[in-house]
Amino acid sequence: MSLLELKNVSKIYGPLKALDNVSLTVENGEWLAIMGPSGSGKSTMMNIIGCMDKPSLGEVILDGVDISKESSKKLTEIRRDKIGLIFQQFHLVNYLTAVENVMVSQYYHSMPDEKEALEALERVGLKDRAKHLPSQLSGGEQQRVCIARALINHPEIVLADEPTGNLDEANENIVIDLFRQLHREGTTLIVVTHDPEVAEVAQRTVVLEHGRPVKEIINESFEE
Amino acid sequence: MKKKKMFLRMITASLLRRRSRMLVALLAIAVGATILSGLVTIYDDVPRQMGEQFRSYGANMIFMPSNGGELSGDSLQQAKNRIAEKQLVGYAPYRYENITVNERPMMAAATDFDGAAKTSPYWRVDGAWPSGVGEALVGKETAQTLALNVGDEVTLTYDLDKTPATADEAANTERNQNSAAFHVAGILDTGGNEEKYFFISIEDMEALTGKADCFDMAELSVTASQNELKTYADDISQHTDGVSARLVKRVTQSENTVLSKLQALVLLVTVIVLLLTMICVATTMMAVVTERRKEVGLRKALGASNKSIIVEFMGEGLLLGGIGGLLGSVFGFIFAQAVSMNVFNSSIQFRWLLIPVTVVVSVLVTGLSCLLPVRSATDVDPALVLKGE
Amino acid sequence: MFFRMIKGALFRQKSKMIMIAVTIALGSSLATAMLNIMLDVGDKVNQELKAYGANITVVPKENSVLDSLYDLDDGGESVAHLKEEDLGKIKTIFWGFNILDFTPFVNTVVTLGDGSTAKLTGTWFNHHLALNTGEELDAGIHSLRSWWEIKNGQWLDEQKESIPANGALIGSALAARLGVETGDTLEVNTAKGSQALQIAGVYDAGGDEDEQLFTLLPVAQMLADCQGLIDSIEVSALTTPDNELARKAATKGPGALSPADYETWYCTAYVSSICYQIQEAIPDSVASAVRQVAESEGTILDKTRLLMILITILSLFGSALGISNLVTASVMERSNEIGLLKAIGARDSRISGIVLTEIMLTAIVGGVAGYFMGYGFAQIIGHTVFASAIEMKPMVIPLVAVLIIIVTLAGSIPAIRMLLRLRPAEVLHGR
Repeated sequence: MSLLELKNVSKIYGPLKALDNVSLTVENGEWLAIMGPSGSGKSTMMNIIGCMDKPSLGEVILDGVDISKESSKKLTEIRRDKIGLIFQQFHLVNYLTAVENVMVSQYYHSMPDEKEALEALERVGLKDRAKHLPSQLSGGEQQRVCIARALINHPEIVLADEPTGNLDEANENIVIDLFRQLHREGTTLIVVTHDPEVAEVAQRTVVLEHGRPVKEIINESFEE
Repeated sequence: MKKKKMFLRMITASLLRRRSRMLVALLAIAVGATILSGLVTIYDDVPRQMGEQFRSYGANMIFMPSNGGELSGDSLQQAKNRIAEKQLVGYAPYRYENITVNERPMMAAATDFDGAAKTSPYWRVDGAWPSGVGEALVGKETAQTLALNVGDEVTLTYDLDKTPATADEAANTERNQNSAAFHVAGILDTGGNEEKYFFISIEDMEALTGKADCFDMAELSVTASQNELKTYADDISQHTDGVSARLVKRVTQSENTVLSKLQALVLLVTVIVLLLTMICVATTMMAVVTERRKEVGLRKALGASNKSIIVEFMGEGLLLGGIGGLLGSVFGFIFAQAVSMNVFNSSIQFRWLLIPVTVVVSVLVTGLSCLLPVRSATDVDPALVLKGE
Repeated sequence: MFFRMIKGALFRQKSKMIMIAVTIALGSSLATAMLNIMLDVGDKVNQELKAYGANITVVPKENSVLDSLYDLDDGGESVAHLKEEDLGKIKTIFWGFNILDFTPFVNTVVTLGDGSTAKLTGTWFNHHLALNTGEELDAGIHSLRSWWEIKNGQWLDEQKESIPANGALIGSALAARLGVETGDTLEVNTAKGSQALQIAGVYDAGGDEDEQLFTLLPVAQMLADCQGLIDSIEVSALTTPDNELARKAATKGPGALSPADYETWYCTAYVSSICYQIQEAIPDSVASAVRQVAESEGTILDKTRLLMILITILSLFGSALGISNLVTASVMERSNEIGLLKAIGARDSRISGIVLTEIMLTAIVGGVAGYFMGYGFAQIIGHTVFASAIEMKPMVIPLVAVLIIIVTLAGSIPAIRMLLRLRPAEVLHGR
């Protein structure tokens, strides 16, 4: 069974169809990129997969559960247990240190554990910056804290919304390397981006336009 | 356990690392709490402090002989002792006798001058209060009639048997008289009947008349409400032989009227100021919390339930409210003390009960004003909150 | 563009701006209410203190001397008199407006049916008076004896048809001694005549007056054989608490003052200057302050004023901090916007201008609304406590306006400066 399945999903805001009858399947361990210009419905799709929004029509089956019909309380639980989020604007709590930001995620999930949180930061190469506040970190470092936070609870899916949108070339490469590593460890990765370079490194890329998937590219040269 | 620790860590981090904003919030709460505890202390203290000021109207209770006779020093003392010492501002016994000055009939009053100065603080004395034996205070009217000035000598004569009723009688009968010379220490100005009298000390009067331990009445100035005074008066009249205590209605009734208005004024002012201040505190807290909508969205996106977010913000509010409340209790007391010293020249008691009350109210106001914006932020989808702005 | 941005901010951030406006309105209403009450509390409490009765007594010039000479204390029958027709002149003095009430007295001793004597006083109760100036007023003893308790029956009232021309009030002690009740008729005699008095009520005065009879002025004048004459006048006047100048005038006499001081003293409602003016108005009279009332009034008034001033300062301080705090908070909240404006190259002065104009516009709206709210609060307090309106002093308006402007600026400028010092990138990246 697929990990995630979207069946005829539409999202309608008044006269605007942000998503128009989209069907998509994501297998366990897959690295998928969703690409498209702004306004193509990428973010809406990301919000629906991330359990932060519900579709107007259609079904979304995540790990065997139809999340399109769940209450928002239940959605919060699913998000907490199964999904790791990475944002373009990082969204770190600005008065908490790097390690504390990671621990916040643990706190809502189960038990905060500083040692584990430090290990997660070590994995993204930020062990020595653990006690710094977000304002003392560079953009790339902040995004790496964000990745550590997304991974700490071992989610089924890591959802990244324009993870490199605010980063320079060097940091972009660091983030992509981290994604590769995650993929090798078997994490399912969904990356929403408009940057072809970021999309290229994924296993499969779905291109959205006007709320509809218009193209699907399989990366032939993808190396496991 | 670990979870609790993280909870505290997040709250303290929020309070300590967001210093400028938290100071803004704390300041607002502390100001609110200061006003609360300060005004409530003043309100609570006004009847007592103002009541003391109203004692400048003079005696509000008098002791009279109940059987039409005379009062003995003992029975007066006994009656006086029934009044709590703390409440007794002044006590002055009076004895009136008819005397003559150069055959001119006059009235002399004997009293304890220290007591009289306290029971009748409105008396104005030109010159000085008599300080001992042989000194007299002369009413302004009498002083004018007799052309007496401060420093003059005057001889008071007392008929030991009976003051003659007519000039003829005075000239013809054998009179058994006693005279004493007095030094005029001061001229008394009151605008009332007292201006007609000579005032001398009790010892002098006893020497002049040869009769000791008898009084006509006593004036008392007591800091107490009208009802309390009534209870005292009934108690004294019932339990002290020969003494009948009566209220000076003009003073007690009027004080009751004016004081109750003043108290109502301070109460209303307190209520309105508090109401407005609390709303001010609430709006400031709301502004401070509204600023953190994004954070609420993020926490939700990370999988926090609405409940746990509300609990976290409430925790912060509680801590802020508590600290602000404590600060306010202290500053409020300092303010109330300053008011009391400036207005009434007396200090006030610290009211310990006000600390928990102030803290609880601050916590409640802070908590409620946090709840509103947090609620509205948690009700929105995290995606929208994160996107916004 | 400047105005467009401001308009945008005002209307698009409606809820935030409304919150600021509400807070400023609350603060300004508090300031308005407290300042008005503070400025008016003296007059209001002064009125209340009239419960203590008259603070000035007027007697004929020779009276004091004669009274002592003949020891008339027992009878209280004065030899020298004032003229009844001069009474109205009290209202014509410089401070006539401050004379709240006054009443004449005629005292005589009457012999009762059982041979005992009692003091009978004739006075006005609610006498209607038309002055030469065209002014009309009612004067009488009622408000000067606020502590009297009419046990049964009612106050006399010259203007009520139902009150008989021989009506009288009797003191509770005397009534008890004579066994007289309301509705009874009491025969009283003097050397000059006799009169049947109809008892309209029994009063409890809690003092010497409980042994007396009070009746209408003409009745007492007839019994005392002094038609058109009166013995004394009690006056209740609103006065200013004494200060150095007033004390100097009272002890050394107005003659001792320098012309300038005299002017000030004469034109201030000190009890001594009102007394002086009454003496000027009524021939051959001596007006003196009842120190028990006049002195104490000053004490209470001063204390109440000071108390209210301090409470007002506290609440002004509170509302000032409240407003500047909220303004600070709301400016800080806009760090992103300010960062953005900076990033797109806006000059600092421009940014400050925009933010300040917005807040000032909001403050004006809030301040005006607050003034009217404060008006409401002041009136609520006035009517609840004193049963009369609080006078709204015009000077409060500029005071409140200046306060609001200073406080708003004090709240916003430091916050704006702080945000301007930040580098735009830091601000935009959520620091």
